[in-house]
Amino acid sequence: MASPSSFQSQIYRSLPEIERADAIVDRITKAIGLGLLKVGERLPPEAALSEMFGVGGATLREALGELRERGVVETRRGRSGGTFVVSQPRTQTDVIRDWFLSTSISEIRDIGDEHSAIAATTVRLACERAEAHDCERLQELARALVLADTPEVRAPADSRFHIEMAIAAQSPRLANAEIRLQEETVQQLWTPLTVAFDPEQATAEHLELVRAVAQDQPEKAQKLVLEHIRRNIFHLIDKKLTLGYAQSNQDGQ
Amino acid sequence: MKPTAEVVQAASALSSWLSGVCTEVNKLSSDVSTRLERNLAGRSSVDSAALEGLDECPRKFLTKNSYAAGAGTFFAVETLGEGVPALDWWARKEYGTIGRLDLDMTPGSSRYYDYEKLPFFSTAASTGEQSMWGPYVDFLGFEEYILTFAAPLGIQGRFSGVAACDIRIKDLEPLIMPTLRAISGDAALLNASNRVILGNSGSYLVGERIKSGQPNQHRMNLDVPHLGLSLIYMV
Repeated sequence: MASPSSFQSQIYRSLPEIERADAIVDRITKAIGLGLLKVGERLPPEAALSEMFGVGGATLREALGELRERGVVETRRGRSGGTFVVSQPRTQTDVIRDWFLSTSISEIRDIGDEHSAIAATTVRLACERAEAHDCERLQELARALVLADTPEVRAPADSRFHIEMAIAAQSPRLANAEIRLQEETVQQLWTPLTVAFDPEQATAEHLELVRAVAQDQPEKAQKLVLEHIRRNIFHLIDKKLTLGYAQSNQDGQ
Repeated sequence: MKPTAEVVQAASALSSWLSGVCTEVNKLSSDVSTRLERNLAGRSSVDSAALEGLDECPRKFLTKNSYAAGAGTFFAVETLGEGVPALDWWARKEYGTIGRLDLDMTPGSSRYYDYEKLPFFSTAASTGEQSMWGPYVDFLGFEEYILTFAAPLGIQGRFSGVAACDIRIKDLEPLIMPTLRAISGDAALLNASNRVILGNSGSYLVGERIKSGQPNQHRMNLDVPHLGLSLIYMV
């Protein structure tokens, strides 16, 4: 039989190849990385987790064991016991570097294409739907980015702002899409592999975006968010060029 | 203004690499045509017997030219006999193996791959010259973001289809980026419709159409016959 083409294989794509325990570790790590789970927060009880992930108790315990070993969670016994998030997972620089080496510029552009589509509609809807309270919260989240003093906390602060913009737009589907896109790229943006990314400019852009949303200026908000994404993508491509083709500038041919 | 030495050098390196691809595709076309003519022994329409051993040509092409993701032949429908497959296409699959690509060739079907209407085929048919199409997403075909280099295929002097190869944009990048990066300012390789094939910075992204007449933007045509390629660079 001919092997299916790549769009077809989207339909039949294999379920994640990594073991299910690894998949759980990955999900929880990313959720903490994005700030969706906070340090100090208690995870649901084991039985509930097994049921939600659809895995057996042994698989779940294996996953939690791995997370404990990485120092990300801690399990306490007793009445007020349970599994708690105790630290931000360390950014895996090697993983991020590999991502840059194995991802082509055309693929990075394509991520930007999708992100632009999602974000443009998100901010337009946020203009229509956000309450004053949402705008205040977005403003706070925008400021949190410039207050964050390490790359490890800048990544979740940045992604949190964008995810909550989709929350203000009141679309769970757009919020899910935004979460997926943030998971895919936010660490790459902030991990200082080459030139550091400037949190002050990103914050200024976020704040300007909130103002446009608060003043119900959809055209302006859309323009701002598209420029913002374009700048992010430009930075990712710059990193890719520096990491992947560093030699070519000096060597010529 | 005269282009700088680094631009001239890059343009010549690109021209020579791309001409090399054209030469290979031309050779594929003549190999296929020789094989078909021998098998046909004077018969005019391509029947199953004529396809005997034809797959050797694209397989050899792919083994030799590691930059290509796929290669083969698309026949003009009017040259085909009853029940003969319209294409003989081979693609690089996982684990480095080369396998046949089967496409839906049933007119009216929702996955029908109407290749005679696609530019890589129709240009070769109408001009009788080599062509390059892309970057494009080859929906229902190879379904990747690719360039297709095509050369018309003749049987006893009559247009009978095209021989072609696909290069994935992702694979092209590491091959020609070093050449583009040797230019110190922003620069990009453009196709005949002024769209970017590859740029050396985030300023020129693959697929974008470049408006001419921008200040400080210069252009140099590449010496690759019929493809209409050029190099633009900022000074």
